Order: sequence, then C-alpha cells, then structure tokens
Amino acid sequence: MALEGVRILDFTWVVAGPVATRILADQGAEVIKIERGDKDATSVMGPRRIGLQGELHRNKRSAAINMANPRGLELARRLAAISDLVMDNFSARVMRMWAMDYASLAKIKPDIICISMSGLGHTGPRCNYVSYGPTLQALAGFTRLMADARGEPAGYGYSYADMAGGYSGALAALIALWHRKRTGRGQFVDLSQFEALVSLAGPALLDISVNGRTQEPPGWRSQEAPAAPHGAYRCRPWGDDDDRWIVIAVRSQPEWERFAGAIGDPPWTTDPKFRTLYLRMRNREELDAHVARWAATQAAEAAMELLRNAGIAAGVALNGADLAADPHLAERGFFAQVKLPDNSSTRLTGVPMRLSATPGSVRTVAPEVGEDNDYILGELLGLGRAERAELIAEGAVWG
Amino acid sequence: MSERGALAGLRVLDLTDLKGHLCARLLADMGADVIKIEPPGGDPARRVGPFVDDQPHRDRSLFFWFYNLNKRSLTLDLGHPEGAAILRRLAEGADVVIESFRPGDLARMGLGWNVLHELNPALVLCSIAPFGQNGPYSGYEADDSVLTALAGMLYVNGFPDTAPVRPLGLQSYHSASYYAAIATMCALLARDSSGEGQWIDLSMQEATASAVEHVAAGFFGTGEIERRRGTLHWSRFFRIGRCRDGYLMHCTLGDWTSLVEWVNGDGKAQDLTTPEWEDVAKRRQDAEHLFDVLDEWVKDYSRDELLERAQLLRLPYASVRNPEDLFNDEQLLARGYFHEVEHPELGRTFRYPGSPYLFTGSQWRVTRRPPLVGEHTGEVLSAELGMSAQELAALAAGGVV
Repeated sequence: MALEGVRILDFTWVVAGPVATRILADQGAEVIKIERGDKDATSVMGPRRIGLQGELHRNKRSAAINMANPRGLELARRLAAISDLVMDNFSARVMRMWAMDYASLAKIKPDIICISMSGLGHTGPRCNYVSYGPTLQALAGFTRLMADARGEPAGYGYSYADMAGGYSGALAALIALWHRKRTGRGQFVDLSQFEALVSLAGPALLDISVNGRTQEPPGWRSQEAPAAPHGAYRCRPWGDDDDRWIVIAVRSQPEWERFAGAIGDPPWTTDPKFRTLYLRMRNREELDAHVARWAATQAAEAAMELLRNAGIAAGVALNGADLAADPHLAERGFFAQVKLPDNSSTRLTGVPMRLSATPGSVRTVAPEVGEDNDYILGELLGLGRAERAELIAEGAVWG
Repeated sequence: MSERGALAGLRVLDLTDLKGHLCARLLADMGADVIKIEPPGGDPARRVGPFVDDQPHRDRSLFFWFYNLNKRSLTLDLGHPEGAAILRRLAEGADVVIESFRPGDLARMGLGWNVLHELNPALVLCSIAPFGQNGPYSGYEADDSVLTALAGMLYVNGFPDTAPVRPLGLQSYHSASYYAAIATMCALLARDSSGEGQWIDLSMQEATASAVEHVAAGFFGTGEIERRRGTLHWSRFFRIGRCRDGYLMHCTLGDWTSLVEWVNGDGKAQDLTTPEWEDVAKRRQDAEHLFDVLDEWVKDYSRDELLERAQLLRLPYASVRNPEDLFNDEQLLARGYFHEVEHPELGRTFRYPGSPYLFTGSQWRVTRRPPLVGEHTGEVLSAELGMSAQELAALAAGGVV
C-alpha cells in the first residue's frame, strides 16, 4: 500500500479529524488513536465497530492514554518521537497545554509534521470558538443558500463541513509528507475547517467580490452548465413508499430531442415555448409541471433506465437501502463486508479511490478504546508487562 | 519557509472538464506546474457563469477562474492525431495526467493507460468518471445533481413532505476532486519506493457516497433508512432557530449546565431544568421538544448578541449567515484569508477566496491568475518540446493548437 511505513499519532475525534486519518489508514498508514478510556464522549454516535463509528475508525489502532496524567503525557510524547505525523482537531490551546504542539515536538523529533484541524484556525480573534460541522456550514453561508422552494433555510441532512475538513486534512498530510521526503523538513499545518469549507464556495464568492451580487439560494437553477428540465420529480409510489424521486438534467438540444423521444414525444414537447434551451429555462415552471406529470406515472427505477439508455443524465434519489443494493456499486465491490470479533459481520462504505498498483482496503474493524494498548506500549515503546501494569495502576493508562 | 511550494518540481497535465478542475487546482496551489489542456476555443467551463460584469466571454468566467487559478493553459485538439502525438510527448516529461473523459475515450485517442505507461513508466494517470472506469453504469451520463442523487446525498436534504433540496456547491465534483488529489499524492508517494506510476480509477458516485456520513453507514449500522428531517440534523443535536433578526444554529452538545442556567435566567427554561436533560441521550431522544423550547427562548434575542454570549460560555452556537458576510468576517480577515489577484489584461485586481490550509513551512500562494485561453501554448511547446515558430504556425494553421 502507498502509505506503508507512515505512522500517524491521532488525537482527532468526532467526524472531520477521523475522516482525514481514516483516508490515510485505508491506504496503509499506521494510525494510532490516543483516546480517553474513562468516558467515551462519542458513544452518542453509535456503537464503535459498525455504522458511522465503524467507518471512521476502521484500519486504526487505539491506545487509552490519560493525557491528564504526567506519565501518560510522557507516553504520548514518546509515541510522537517515533511518528511521522501528529494530527489533532482541538482548538489551539489544547496541544500547547500538553506541550504536544509543533514547537515542542520538533525538539524531540525535528522532522515531525503536525496537522491541526481546528474549527476556526490557530490564530485570529475567534480561534477559540467551539464548533461542529453543522455550525460551520451555517457560519460559511452554505446553510442559508440551501433553501426550500419557499426560501426558508432547509438545512443540510449531513455534515459537509466535516468532509471538507477531513479531505483537506488528508491532502495536507500527504503534501507535507511529499515535501519532507524532498527537503528533510517537517512543518506545522494550521487547517481551519471553516476556511476549508469556505474555499469550496469559490464561484459564488467571486460573484460577490467581483460583481457585488447578493447570492440567492440557487434551488435547481444550475450551478454549472445550464439545463432544463432540471430537477427532482416525484415518481409513482413503489409499494407503500411514496417518497421516490428522479433527478433529470437535460443540458443540450440533442439531449432535449432524445428526452422527448424517450418519453414518447408527448405533444407538449413540441410546444414552441420549449423549443430552445433558453426558452426552456425561461419557461421552466411550466416545463417542470409537464415533466412532473410524466414522472408521476413512472416507477423511479424504470424511468431512470429509460432515460439513461437515451443518453440523458438521470438518477433516482437513492436512500440508504437503495444505495446498499445498488447493482453498479455491488459490481464494483464498493461496500466492504467485514467480520466482527463475535463472528457476526457488517458492511462498511468502501475505499472510494482505486489505485491499480497499491490499492487501499478495509483490513481491520474499528478497535474498541484501548484495544491496542499492548501492541502500542509493548511493541512500539518496548514496555514490559510489569511496567504496563504499573502505568495502569498509576492511572496513566486505562487498562 | 520554502520559497517554492511544497509540490514544486511536479509537472501535471490537466485534461479534465469541470468535473475534475478542482483536483488539479489543489495541486497547482501547492506549487505543482499544472498545464491545463483545453480544446481549441477553450474549456467548456469558460462558458459557465457568473461572468465579470455579467459580460459573457471565455476569459471572463468567474466559474472558470476559481477552478483554474495557478494553472497554465495550452490549447490542443486531442481528437486530432497530431494533437494526441503532442500530448504523448508532453506526457513523457510529466509526473501526473488527470482526466475526466468518458471511460474509453482516452484510449480511443491513443492516450490510454497502456500507451502512457509504456512511454513513461513513472507517470501517474488519474481518471475521474461519474461511475468509474468499469461496471454496468460506467457509460451513463451524469451531472453533479444526478450524482448527488445516486450517492444518497440528495435524499436526506429538505423536509419530509416536499421535494429533496439540492445540495449547494457542486459537492459531487468537489468530493471527487479531493479524493482524486489525495489518490494522486498517494500514488506519487508510492512511486518513491517502486519507481512505477499507476492508474487511479476514481468513481464520482463512490466519492460522493463517501461524503455523506450517515446514509449508507446508518443503514448498515441500524438497518434504518435515514429520511429528510427539515432543519434538524440527523444526529439530532442541531436545528435551525429563528431570532429577532435572523437565523441561528442551535447545538445541544455543549456544556448543558451553562446553557440551561442561561435559559432559566431568562425565564424560558420550561421543563429543561429537570435533571433528566443532563443526559445527552435524552437530549437526542426528545430533540423536537427541546428545540421548540429553545426556539421560544431565542426569538427575542438579536443574533450577534446571542452568539457572542454563547461562545463565551463555550456553547457551539453559530449564526446562519449570508455568504456576503464572509468578506467582513474578522476571523478570515485576521488570518489573511482573501487574496488580491491582479488581472492585467482587464486592468483590475480581484479578491479571491484563499486556501483550505496554512502550511507554515511551504506556503499556499497565488503564483499566477487563471490563464487566458491558450495563453501558454507557445511557451510550453517551444520550451518543453523545442518546437520552432514555423512548427507552431503549422499546427495553428491545421487547427491542432
């Protein structure tokens, strides 16, 4: 695997940080989570080995080290000294308080790379703001622009900010590793999850700064090349499920002609007010009403099949069960089936990038907190059984 | 601090359309020399708005600008045998080729993995496609909105009784581009030990499905189908509330005692003072009632007043802001987030959003404004391939460049 031999000391928690280290662990990095063993602050996110937590922590190791204990802290510093990267998503003061910040660690490991993925960055007047993915989305203007047809903010069902933070954290780690391989030098990366998110609003921000335009929720108006029809249309119920929708995007004249043909050339498709893309965009409400009436008579999957085969961009709004059964993802083996220690098995979202020579993989299920204490303290730090027992007795390690 | 970026010395050929523009931009920002290969006449993204002063023109697309900052531009007709031949010569001296053609198209142009790998065994080829390079859907059309539907991302946005609300901001393209950049860096690091490049198959559907944390994972973990919940976040710890002058984001994951004392001090706590609410599981369980009480509490506050006080108490509240507010955000300004980029041909300087991260030892920076169509065609072909002025003129006359 691409990152074999790379060791990461991982202080991250909740979602954004663990996404970053999960991506690196999938590609072979040895990721050592340092966690507290007295209370699991993330247990509200569900059981550890399955579902979201199972996906966030797979392929990682866990040591339950008490950072409030001086000997616990010493263990963490010794681990940092044999690691390539140290990653955290605390606000600025936490790692400094532990003397685990870049300046302190560079003294014991001169080429260490430290990546801190705090909410709002390590400098500036709001560096100590507390935040989560959904609150960062609100601050960054994304939530306001995701409005429903009435213009009310309709929220996000998920935490895009955590993904933006996680992806940029993983990419930053790899770029810093590349740089170190060429220069021999480590460095500190100050990643603000807020800025990582804001940086993805690019064209809208330029429209503000260049044209001075106030941004309105785009709804189904295109955010890329224009299209009409373009929207989510409710389909015929499937059994007792009446929440079936198909998304259709018709982007060009040839696509419009193929679309009309595929749905049987109903008379409205030859109405002069829908003749060109420009006209279809201008009369989109009326056009949408026609398409919606057509879609309401169709089963979503069948409509998708019909349109796709005519070369139209179309897709069912898949729910979790649909996704798990998606034939294309199944054919590509996207979801991983893993065995749990009690011999039951579960499925996890797979590795979404396929490298032909060094493919990543789901190798181990998420460890329970402290599950790898013996490996990490024994094999990596060379502590004997008696010393480990003493550390537990002293409260430096949770056994 | 390095004078040059962390990726200085890397040569990247960017053959992508708007699905993959961000991928090469992420590498260009960190110092890689990214040459954007555009069809004669310019990349289709140059026709996407908004435009400077709302005047559509291929060198005035803000959409193109954002995704192509720090790149050079070479126009080349890859469908023309001579164009493909030039690309092969450029690939011999490149580290990375990134493309987002329909699966099979690259090979049809004589630029497939086998050809490129034989020419330059150290080359990394990163292929971004809606459904990946193989499998039953690999030939189908898709755009960003269709991909968010097929990744389970769309279904969970909005209110239960009405249409799903489209995710903002090309999230499928962005997720795919980030994963593609990450995969490319992994392949480059692997090359350090093997000496060999490799081929990356990046499915946008898979990348997008990976960007929704609870849809597939929720189904696998609990057997339950996650549905739209209006403004209530799936974790049930966040919901949008309305105060006197705008919206805010409630969060019930902060210190409960501080929050409830404050609410109670305002005489608005109703039943929240009972000890059972100290349990985070209870707050999740009865989130609807909890947020109804908190909505009543915040409605007479001004947004800023409430937020400043909440953050002083370390309660993770946030305002639901308009993107315009970002340009006055004291945190972004203090950190030097925005960058002024000069566009000499327009005689103007524009303010661009900045970097997702601050590297203290090898900075992110703006080295060049987005390229005009084919701005560097002559420069690249003469400097890299040693072509003469006559050869260039012949290629231009033949419509190759």
